[in-house]
Amino acid sequence: MTELSDDTRQLRPSLWETINERYPGSMITKSDFIPLARLRKPLSQTRLTFVSSAGIQPKGTLPFDVVHPVGDFSLRRVPSASTISELEIHQIKYPTTGALKDLNVIFPIERLQELTKEGVIGELTPNLFSFIGYQMDPERFERTLAEDLADAVVADGAEAVLLCPA
Amino acid sequence: MSLQHLKTAVAENDSEKLIRYVRLHLGDGNEAAGRKEIDKAWIEALKLMLDVPATDREFIFATLNNQTPATLAHLYFYLHFYFVKRSGAWIHDGTL
Repeated sequence: MTELSDDTRQLRPSLWETINERYPGSMITKSDFIPLARLRKPLSQTRLTFVSSAGIQPKGTLPFDVVHPVGDFSLRRVPSASTISELEIHQIKYPTTGALKDLNVIFPIERLQELTKEGVIGELTPNLFSFIGYQMDPERFERTLAEDLADAVVADGAEAVLLCPA
Repeated sequence: MSLQHLKTAVAENDSEKLIRYVRLHLGDGNEAAGRKEIDKAWIEALKLMLDVPATDREFIFATLNNQTPATLAHLYFYLHFYFVKRSGAWIHDGTL
């Protein structure tokens, strides 16, 4: 994990073709090539953040809008020092049986906290981030939520981002 | 099924495409299940009315008169899921 990678290729350049094959005439057209940014120092010296589409949020915050037919283009900040008992899931598009028993299976906050204590990760950003993956408008998603996420991640001083789809 | 697909259906007044989407959305991708979910929500609402309980019609009229159609549409989706959840027959994977 601490080796620097020279590989800046997209991990799955055929992903968009695969999606459009399964959902013909719909969803996403994406031809832009976005090279992965290189990690410039060991992970043990890096401030890491985590971004998840699992719909995780601190209890007491406005629930994600899971009923909206087009989607919810907002994000939630999850303090990285949170305990699992302080968090909850709001979404209705993936099975949560496992996650309700142990949230780490979908939002591994305790594992990230442990890896930080062990020195594998330099530190975590003050917040981790989550949104719901059900989005019918990828252009709006890119224009709003993706930009908001990028700004929030930068504002928290992240040097690397672990992205995790639900 | 893309958003553009739905907007085109609206422009062409293609109700079949639109109701298919609504059923798919409310049925977690299963059109037949979505149709049952719609019925389930209406049945649950009907059951609550049979004894003619007191209701807050002032609230209802104030809401209808003072809120935007978009807010009312949003509320309509929330009410659907509210009554489905209240029915106790929850087919969805997660949590509202």
